[in-house]
Amino acid sequence: MDFISDNLLTILILAPIIGAMLTLAHQMFWKQEGQLKWLTLGFTLVNFAVSLLLFTGSAPAGGYMFEKNVPWITAINTNYHVGVDGLSFWLVILTTFIMPIAVISTWHAVEKKATAFYVFLLLLESAMIGVFVSLDLLVFYLFFEASLIPMFFLIGVWGGENRIYAAVKFFIFTALGSLLMLVGIISIYYIYADQTGFGGSFDLVSITNALKQGQMSFAGEWAGAGTLLFLAFALAFSIKVPLFPFHTWLPDAHTEAPTAGSVILAAVLLKMGTYGIMRFNFAMFPDQSREWAWLFIALAIIGIIYGALVAMVQPDVKRLVAYSSVAHMGFVVLGMFSFTETGMQGAVYQMLNHGVSTGALFLLVGFIYERRHTRAISDFGGLANVMPLYATIFVITAMSSVGLPLLNGFVGEFLIMVGMFKSTVLPITATFNWNYNATMLAGTGVIFAAVYLLWMMQRVFFGKVTNEKNKHLTDLTWREIGLIVPLVVLMVYMGVYPKPFLARTQENVQTIEKTVMKSAGGDVVRSTSDCKCEDEKKKEQH
Amino acid sequence: MNTVFLTELAPPDANVYAIVPEMIVAATGIIVMLYDCFFPKQRNVTGAMSLIGLISSGVMLATMWGGDVPASSWGGMVAHDNLRLSFSFVFLFVSAMTVLISTIWVERENVPVGEYHALLLFATFGMMMMSAGSDLVVIFLGLETLSIATYVMAGLRKGDLRSNESAMKYFILGSFASAFLLYGMALVYGATGSTNIAGIAAKMADPNFPALLLVGAAMMIIGFGFKIAMAPFHVWTPDVYEGAPTPITGFMAAGPKAAAFASFLRVFVVGLPLIAGVQVSGYVHNGWITAITILAILTMVVGNVAAIMQNNVKRMLAYSSIAHAGYALVGFVGAGLATTNEARDAAIASVAFYMLTYAVTNLGAFTVVTILAERNDRRTEFEDYNGIGFRSPLLSFSLSLFMLSLLGLPLTAGFIGKVLVFRPALEAGNTLVTVMVVAAVVNTAISAYYYLRMIVVMFFKERASDWSAPKLSTAMAVALIISIVGVLYLGIFGDRLIQRFSTSLPIAQANR
Repeated sequence: MDFISDNLLTILILAPIIGAMLTLAHQMFWKQEGQLKWLTLGFTLVNFAVSLLLFTGSAPAGGYMFEKNVPWITAINTNYHVGVDGLSFWLVILTTFIMPIAVISTWHAVEKKATAFYVFLLLLESAMIGVFVSLDLLVFYLFFEASLIPMFFLIGVWGGENRIYAAVKFFIFTALGSLLMLVGIISIYYIYADQTGFGGSFDLVSITNALKQGQMSFAGEWAGAGTLLFLAFALAFSIKVPLFPFHTWLPDAHTEAPTAGSVILAAVLLKMGTYGIMRFNFAMFPDQSREWAWLFIALAIIGIIYGALVAMVQPDVKRLVAYSSVAHMGFVVLGMFSFTETGMQGAVYQMLNHGVSTGALFLLVGFIYERRHTRAISDFGGLANVMPLYATIFVITAMSSVGLPLLNGFVGEFLIMVGMFKSTVLPITATFNWNYNATMLAGTGVIFAAVYLLWMMQRVFFGKVTNEKNKHLTDLTWREIGLIVPLVVLMVYMGVYPKPFLARTQENVQTIEKTVMKSAGGDVVRSTSDCKCEDEKKKEQH
Repeated sequence: MNTVFLTELAPPDANVYAIVPEMIVAATGIIVMLYDCFFPKQRNVTGAMSLIGLISSGVMLATMWGGDVPASSWGGMVAHDNLRLSFSFVFLFVSAMTVLISTIWVERENVPVGEYHALLLFATFGMMMMSAGSDLVVIFLGLETLSIATYVMAGLRKGDLRSNESAMKYFILGSFASAFLLYGMALVYGATGSTNIAGIAAKMADPNFPALLLVGAAMMIIGFGFKIAMAPFHVWTPDVYEGAPTPITGFMAAGPKAAAFASFLRVFVVGLPLIAGVQVSGYVHNGWITAITILAILTMVVGNVAAIMQNNVKRMLAYSSIAHAGYALVGFVGAGLATTNEARDAAIASVAFYMLTYAVTNLGAFTVVTILAERNDRRTEFEDYNGIGFRSPLLSFSLSLFMLSLLGLPLTAGFIGKVLVFRPALEAGNTLVTVMVVAAVVNTAISAYYYLRMIVVMFFKERASDWSAPKLSTAMAVALIISIVGVLYLGIFGDRLIQRFSTSLPIAQANR
């Protein structure tokens, strides 16, 4: 047991790789592709079970659980340094939780080259976990890039019509951003060496400690470098999120990817971007994060509204869900850059929500695609008459995505908007509070979300069955029910009782708020007295 | 210098031990040549002999690494330091791999194998002299030994028009470049009164030196630039690489290029350093740093942009090799700008390591290309790779791995190589140099397009015609396994080798 808890994260990273090798070996010696899905499923389930051991850990204050720090390349002082804290905790579990679901979702869908498919799925899992647990910049970069390859293959080989275009676009967009981040990472190594005199380091913990203790700073003569580095990191992550205007790869990738690929892409891969901003940008460049918050808030709001409007006119269900992702991830970015505890809590929570509900939506779209081999809204109509169970679950999921109270989406979006409302990161003048207006604009996104999802559901599920081919569709099978029910249960649970989730992330979020807003240092103007008066007036009016 | 030699008449500084690895290779070459004269029918023996020679030279090299060899011997003509040893290690590896890859001819084609092996060994000897030489004369002799052998090797497939064209082009342009190099060397000698690298470096501390040195350095940049395929002296590369027999193309991209880098580093970084407080050394140093920085950017852009447009895999790899010379030049500039000896040695080691990662990856790629090419290199177009992905998973997945390593994706050798060469350049904190690093990174993203194209055609496209996976001979399988293991090993556990390259034997250089 000791061995397991000492190396828990390493096991989580390595188990899928071992699984992939066994899958290959199995195929080589027994040549029975039918058994591979069981093998893969077994490995992902085991990994999920192992990841539940994370609950047994207890973190030292401000520290990381299950930390492991082993030298990797001493010539450049890079270490295999992994650890989990509140920010990454749920994301790791989300990853291990989504994987078995993704595997089962492909039970009958993948016919060609199944071996390679499962190998890539497992490798992807390993890379994703690595991204969330690595605390060394170079190791993080390594996993960040490594996650590209399996996804590239998943889209390129098992994708739809236009898969090659989508796969290459996905790869090049992400790679360009992350390569600039690599330059940033190497520069930080030297800036650390220059300023602290300890020699270079890629270690996030050392860097943040040096920043805290004032041995290193991105102010004064380093402010320019700090801004460039902040933007380099932010660009890499914004492409991944994706933030408007870097989102164009997402609809293509989502639409062309096989169901399992879309689910993983939506549930986990996009979170790498938002997680990266919280973990790296906020921790290393607090001042720049605050100064540039206006830009990201603006882009997030554009993303929310633009994503929703474009989703409205999509003729393809999957593309619609893809654009809704742009809008939802806009909310996450908005919450993060509000730099209030509430807003950031909401952002982290919304990452999980988006993973669960959008993942579920892609699964549901996949179910109908397997039956009809089309995703065009106009091909459907009245499905509720033929597939009542499917329609029910779809409605619940869509409602969770819209943000209906008592379902998870509501909690996240509400917290984000409250957080943004309370935020002081945008300028506040006597007559105009930008934060309020930002919140208001974002709020319209919720309404749009209701519009495009409800309208789509109306056209797909309600009314009479217009298309002959839809008359004899079978309702969900037991496999599909087993697949989707855990997600629905989670949606309800997370909507009703978010406390255990939020409790985990609270401490980290508070730390970020403190470092970014420097409430202790007091060099940031909190809300002015005028505004407080206005606040009070409002309260009185109510 | 001559007068000193005559008056003292000291016993020559002939430390034979210091050049044993080179001698082993040269001797093996002669033995192979003689054996081939008497037993021309053999098909495999000379290959085995060459491998034994190369491996024993490698073993010798390894023992010398920690051994008791003076840092400089033969009157300052032969150096014994990390620069020499690490690059020589790369050369031996490249040649051994080339011997393995070219066994394909034994089965497929009627190529004079014995002569070929002898030439390969002589070329290796030349490369080793280039990295060991710390005197312009030795470097030039090494370069010519290498070049003449490679000219012949490029035209080895006598019946093939492309091969003949390749050899002819390489010969004419190569001689032209050699002339530039030699002229540059002569001018440098004229300016400094010494052909010895240490002597030239010593002269840099002298505030009075003729401007001739600048002209000489410029001409040497052209000469070396040709050999490493630096833009705008790269024009020969695609034609020569496309026409030469595939295993030789692999060799040329990995070996001679690394050798030219070794001498280039020795002559410029060690020979023309920046001496604190001496203004004129600043002119020279600043001159060549600026020139090479700009040429490096140009090289990367030209290589990558042209590679995108290629439809022939060998041509694509040729342009990619130009681009990689550009990336290595980033580390070169970093070495030139290093402020301490340790930093300089580390930067030089990073270039050596980069050449090793490139050699491993590129030779792996050429192994697969050779296997797939069929007789007379017929199938080397991108179209010929359509849809072979899942029909020959071993070959296509390993080729994908090599492409990703060339692209510089983490966990592969290429990634560590890139990080290592970009690092010293960023340390300098010089604006132009930082621009160069950003250009390198943007170029890496551009290169993603054509490296991925290889994967796309193999896995994502369907094949129209019938195709059956070629058989893998033992030697080819060994070469493939070495490359795969090498790419992953250097990418994950490269640490020990980097340490070895950078810290064990500091590069001898007094005047800093």
